[in-house]
Amino acid sequence: MSDAPQEERTPVSLATATSDDPHMQPLARDPERTERLIAIAMFFGILGIIGFGVAYWFNADAWVYGFTMGIGVLLLGFGITAWGKYLMPKGPFVEERHELRGTDEERESLAAAVVQRGGGILGRRKLLGGVAGLGLAAFGIVAAFPLVRSLGPLPKKTLTKTDWRRGSYLVDSTGRPVHVDDLAVGGIVTVFPKGYQDTESGQAVDQTVLIRLTTENFTTRPGRETWGPAGYVAYSKLCSHLGCPVGLYEQQLQSLVCPCHQSMFDVTNGCVPTFGPAPRPLPQLPIYVDGRGYVRAQSDYKEPVGPGYWERS
Amino acid sequence: MSASLTRRLILPAMVLGTTLLSGLALFSGGGASAEPGTTAEPLVISSKVATAQSQVRAIAPPAAYQTGRENSGSANSSVQVYKNGSLVSYGNKHITYVAPPKDLIPLGEALYMQNCASCHGTKANGVAADNTPGGYPNLRGLGPATIDFWIESGRMPAADPREVQAGRKTPKLSTEQAHAIAAWVNSLSPATPYIPIVHSPGTADTSDGFSLFALNCAACHTITGGGDALAKNTYAPSLRNIPSTQVAEAIRTGPGNMPRFTGNLSDEQVRNIVGYVTGNIQHPVNPGGFGLGGLGPVAEGFIGLALGVGILALIGFWIGDRT
Repeated sequence: MSDAPQEERTPVSLATATSDDPHMQPLARDPERTERLIAIAMFFGILGIIGFGVAYWFNADAWVYGFTMGIGVLLLGFGITAWGKYLMPKGPFVEERHELRGTDEERESLAAAVVQRGGGILGRRKLLGGVAGLGLAAFGIVAAFPLVRSLGPLPKKTLTKTDWRRGSYLVDSTGRPVHVDDLAVGGIVTVFPKGYQDTESGQAVDQTVLIRLTTENFTTRPGRETWGPAGYVAYSKLCSHLGCPVGLYEQQLQSLVCPCHQSMFDVTNGCVPTFGPAPRPLPQLPIYVDGRGYVRAQSDYKEPVGPGYWERS
Repeated sequence: MSASLTRRLILPAMVLGTTLLSGLALFSGGGASAEPGTTAEPLVISSKVATAQSQVRAIAPPAAYQTGRENSGSANSSVQVYKNGSLVSYGNKHITYVAPPKDLIPLGEALYMQNCASCHGTKANGVAADNTPGGYPNLRGLGPATIDFWIESGRMPAADPREVQAGRKTPKLSTEQAHAIAAWVNSLSPATPYIPIVHSPGTADTSDGFSLFALNCAACHTITGGGDALAKNTYAPSLRNIPSTQVAEAIRTGPGNMPRFTGNLSDEQVRNIVGYVTGNIQHPVNPGGFGLGGLGPVAEGFIGLALGVGILALIGFWIGDRT
């Protein structure tokens, strides 16, 4: 497009340039031909816009809207830009900028006007000044309210307590209690304490993954000899890093993986973190199998679930 | 084109070229980019995996493959069909589990010896020809659905037995041959689940299927079913182009690192998931025109930003170039 031999041109002032000045000539070597090309492009652009209108009228697919409108805007924009680029005076032009800084006299008189006269005028109305100050103070106090009010409900006891109780049935998302015969080895199910599968706290802090590792009783850590009846182990589904649901169970690696930051937890070893940013093991829920074969909780979690908070790093 | 113009166009052209290439990769792969190839050190990694597998075998004998819940893939289903005293199919109005025909057993034995025995052993117990146990999975007692899934999805025979995770590829054996091998292996140590036939998944309750998919599957396979990388060089494969039987087989048998969903999902729920996967996941509605592989906002944002910035840079250079 710029194949023409490039002559050096010194910038001139647009105001003083005459119409026969070389700076006033268009960049295009053949302005008539360039004009025709630009006109053709803009014509197709107009077709695109019209096509958009037609497509909109006939309720076409979204991609047709985007395609027609895109063609229209692109070609019209190309035409306008090329008009300015190839057919307008090629320049370059300069326009000298005047001094930005005012003279010392101007600056002094302005300062005097603001500080002395303005201050005096304001000082005449002490009542209004006081009321305005009071308004600003009230506004400042009210503006701090969102810090207290809009950060959501207070967590209350959910930081340290969940809805799991001694004897709570482990139910799935449909409310069906889990029976000891249900899961095959290598199976996983997300469970809630019965009655809380649809509640806010159930969805937030009670969610637990129940995994069957084997058919024998399984001990994950010393002191948890009774926590893994018939090979079932239950861990909080909340990552100890930032609280994402740890739902990725890799049954050959025996790892729970958090999808957010790839923390890995060793399911056979009390879910201690083996990789990633998680600082603590996932809390294990003590469970037992009752006389009819249903899996139930021995108690609440022995430690807070989820990520750390201000009193727990 | 002048030299200076060429120089100025290099950067935007590189941006545009890289973007187009990555975009092409996304389009052509449809999530394939989430499936890494063989890693540079397969031997080292495979030894780790072999260790993990042998540990798993120690605490998870194949016999514990069943569920006690009715209509959840095991034989205790509403309808059970016996022929000559042996269970040939069971199920309900949602899924029928069919045993591979017994008259295929001789064919299956021959095919097994040709294609499988070098690793899994002539007795299908995971003891390879060189008598080193523990390196390869024991196939006994897994049930026909497992055998059928691995063969029909093309994962077996494995291209490279040392690779961390056998990838999906064009099946080497036909459906009938897969059923034959499943029939022979199952004759050694009969077990369930049989091969699931999902009844008209197109009419399943995909709303329920979506909920169950989001709860049970999306964590690994992503909510669009595009698959994603997991820990230690494993990955969850894409769910595009997987027939309904294989989806149901994977859910019921838990191939590889996938958990085994048995008693916690009824056959009705499995059918709803299969209907959602073979319907909405495999035929996604993309109102914007391009799905970009459904890889999520990061990939889409990258394409949009890089492509948009590349084109804008080109236009900007064109507009600003006056000489």
